[in-house]
Amino acid sequence: MSEDRKKKIRNFSIIAHIDHGKSTLADRILEFSDTVAKRDMEEQLLDDMDLERERGITIKARAVRIDYNAPDGENYIFNMIDTPGHVDFNYEVSRSLNACEGALLVVDATQGIEAQTLANAYLAADAGLELVPVVNKMDLPSADLDRVRNEIEDVIGIPAEGCPAVSAKTGLNIADVMQAIIDQIPSPGGDEDAPLKCLIFDSVYNSYLGVVVYIRVVDGTLREGDLIRLMSTGAEFETVEVGVMEPFGLKRTGALYAGEVGYLTASIKNVADTRVGDTVTHAERPAAEPLPGFKHVQSMVFAGIYPADGSKYNETKDALEKLRLNDAAFTFEPETSIALGFGFRCGFLGLLHMEIIEERLEREFNLDLITTAPSVIYRIKKKNGETVFIDNPTNYPSPDEIEEAAEPVVKASLITPAEFVGGIMDLCQDRRGVFVDMKYLDTERVELHYRLPLNEIIYDFFDALKSRSKGYASLDYELDGYEPSSLVKMDFLLNGEQVDALTFIVHSEKAYPRARKIAEKLKDNIPRQLFEVPIQAAIGSKVIARETVKALRKDVLAKCYGGDITRKKKLLEKQKEGKKKMRQLGSVSISPEAFMAVLKLGDE
Amino acid sequence: MKIDLYDKKRLGIYVHVPFCISKCAYCDFNSFVPKSELIMADYVDAVVSHMEDYREAGKGYVADSVYFGGGTPTALPQRELKKLLSAVGKNFDVSKKAEFSVEVNPGTADLSLFKMMRRCGVNRISMGLQSADNRELAALSRCHTRQEFAESFRLARQAGFDNISVDLMFGIPGQTVESMLKSLAFVMRMEPEHISLYNLKIEPGTPFYENREELKAVLPSEEVEFEMYRAAIEAMEKRGYMQYEISNFARFGYRCLHNLKYWNCEEYLGFGVSAHSYFNSNRFAFIDSVDRYIAAVKDKNSPVRITKESEAVEARERMGEYIMLRFRLTDGIGSVDFARRFGVSFESLYGRKIEKYVKDGFIEKREGTYALTPAGMFVSNYILSDILEFEDLGAVTGNIT
Repeated sequence: MSEDRKKKIRNFSIIAHIDHGKSTLADRILEFSDTVAKRDMEEQLLDDMDLERERGITIKARAVRIDYNAPDGENYIFNMIDTPGHVDFNYEVSRSLNACEGALLVVDATQGIEAQTLANAYLAADAGLELVPVVNKMDLPSADLDRVRNEIEDVIGIPAEGCPAVSAKTGLNIADVMQAIIDQIPSPGGDEDAPLKCLIFDSVYNSYLGVVVYIRVVDGTLREGDLIRLMSTGAEFETVEVGVMEPFGLKRTGALYAGEVGYLTASIKNVADTRVGDTVTHAERPAAEPLPGFKHVQSMVFAGIYPADGSKYNETKDALEKLRLNDAAFTFEPETSIALGFGFRCGFLGLLHMEIIEERLEREFNLDLITTAPSVIYRIKKKNGETVFIDNPTNYPSPDEIEEAAEPVVKASLITPAEFVGGIMDLCQDRRGVFVDMKYLDTERVELHYRLPLNEIIYDFFDALKSRSKGYASLDYELDGYEPSSLVKMDFLLNGEQVDALTFIVHSEKAYPRARKIAEKLKDNIPRQLFEVPIQAAIGSKVIARETVKALRKDVLAKCYGGDITRKKKLLEKQKEGKKKMRQLGSVSISPEAFMAVLKLGDE
Repeated sequence: MKIDLYDKKRLGIYVHVPFCISKCAYCDFNSFVPKSELIMADYVDAVVSHMEDYREAGKGYVADSVYFGGGTPTALPQRELKKLLSAVGKNFDVSKKAEFSVEVNPGTADLSLFKMMRRCGVNRISMGLQSADNRELAALSRCHTRQEFAESFRLARQAGFDNISVDLMFGIPGQTVESMLKSLAFVMRMEPEHISLYNLKIEPGTPFYENREELKAVLPSEEVEFEMYRAAIEAMEKRGYMQYEISNFARFGYRCLHNLKYWNCEEYLGFGVSAHSYFNSNRFAFIDSVDRYIAAVKDKNSPVRITKESEAVEARERMGEYIMLRFRLTDGIGSVDFARRFGVSFESLYGRKIEKYVKDGFIEKREGTYALTPAGMFVSNYILSDILEFEDLGAVTGNIT
């Protein structure tokens, strides 16, 4: 490949806060370049899961190659890499960014900079990318171009004067974006004769091809038939196909050169073998060093997932396996609960990741699930010198075995309109946050930094944040190690029997209020039985909260008026339908809703 | 021996009169205050004509119970009520010994009306009192007082009615165990033959339902309601009113034969809007709208469907119905009777399921019969929905239309 051709390549990402129009802009770029005819245009083409389209977020990274015939008569190749837009997927974002030379930073003209705008801008700057600001949603009456441009200059520190001001929705000024990509984003470097170095930025499983690995060739040349090695594991494979990604499928090219973005297949069976961030090199002439920045992503949030109908265990397992094929960050292993029967302990990158997996299981596989309260990984130093990591509250050691308990904490950045600062500070305080600093982004918006225990964030934090800021505040966080903490294990007993699926770990100071609240919630959600059901929250053998589900004394005594027997039968039928869904726990029947209700307590 | 019943099958006849002088705030029955006497006359004509349509079907049956319910049958002008009462005997073979009941609201009947009813063959009056506490009556928006009830009762006796039933209610806003027992004592002093005691239920579509949140504060709790029920049963038994069904109490020989038909899975035909029938192994009901009912009866080619639901009751479902209905009765379910009806023993099908209820005192087992105890009757839906299978309720065949 000639140096001339390389000069015509632009590799870039689009980064933005959720809902600022990233995927819509990607659609417009595809359309503008005639890569996709208008009639084939589905909204948000790159988000090909229904869930992504609905929620307006990108869950998996994706890349597409665009041939663009510019007004100057030159033909350019744009490799556009769509990145996941959520804090759970920061590592994936950082790897995708490393495959690029530049990034379009999309900012909503009505909202301005948000927490993830900043977080993503920092990630892009860390990766040495040229940032091209794009102000979107200019079609809205409340668009304020000057304010947003000033904010970009003041807060992020990049020039925004004259940056493209577009409406991805209506297609306004997309040509400016195309020109900015050509003018401002550098063409890739790299030496196509050097030893091969390719960065893996994603992989997907395909039942015909095996794993399709998305790569950016940094140095060297990759050809079909080459024997390749994955540098983190040393595993070797023979390349079968090499090519580029087009909007509606893969196109074999036989070779990829330094500076290009494309894919390879090599009869790889498991996406876990092709970790995002790993380096692909030649087995016979390997690179001396892998590309920097590779790390094993680890699940931060764990929860039990159980089929609501116990007989659906195998179907649930098949579904989890299918999801794992495409998601190396998602882990699961079988676990058993006395209350819920056979199920799985699942590990997620974060809460959103967890919600997505749950929702996909229910939607794509039509499963009815019970999910237990999410937990983080606690680090316990035992008195016998052993250190254990606990991701399931049920396995939490008894207090007399514990020398020191530690929990993961995060560095959190919250951006909010100034009027909500008080409420948000109260919330962070309440969630055991340690204030770090606060600064005004402009006269109306404030960025707050806190250190917060992760287990407070996974517990209803987003909802509380939204309700205290009328939906305006945004949050970004990254893991920042472990800190010793005073933790206790809280159990719940129904009718004297412990319900393992309800056990959780909580800071000792918050144990009482939370125990009371959950006990109350359980009371409201456990259907009444013909006998009294005591609900107890206990730390060890000490009961700290108590409620009672009163015995059912009466149900409807309506007369069978005028011989209307059918109505009576329908009523009984409905009642029976409800009973069928119950879990039997000893002598107590519990509805699946009861387990779910304790997950969402609302903002106090 | 009732000789006249030997050759013929027995039938109950129900007639629904959907008119009232005023609508009570808790009532979800099909009843309303008519705009004019004209519509009442049209309605009566339609019901009479509807009975004529069933004349053929009723051959081979003898009616041993007739029941006029509502609404308020006595809200009809006297001549219209008379027309309707007489129509039954003109179209069906009504036994001379048949129980013939009419519901009467206090204040809606004078002596001449009672006498007219007597002449038409009516021999049982069911009076809706609900409470003898005038404040509670006001809370229910009933249109009569305790004094008006006493007067109506006296007139009925004077006209010669020797079988009178009185409806009472518990669970009324503001009601206490004491006030409920006082109402009951008041009624028992009048010495009716039969007492029905219903639990107020807040039904969708009623003013009570609209105000259910505010009502919560004044409605008796479940515990209090249970105590009302328990205490009422005890008080009535002391005075010879023996419970024979969840809500019904009678002196010896005065159980309501018509209602017993419902609970014994016997046949009955209903006429008028919203009237239900169980006839030839079919359950069906007529539409609720008076106008549409009149139109459909008058014009046989009318596109208006007069039935709103109908279902053929299959064998297994018949068994479920039997259990559901017989468990309302203190006589309960007899092993021998059950086996004779269905050719299978009750114990083999349901024995294991009812074990725990027997153990916990919700079902009483004695000499080959199973019956709900008062505590069991109070939670009968819970128990029935547990022991009956979907097949018993007709859900599997899905034949409820």
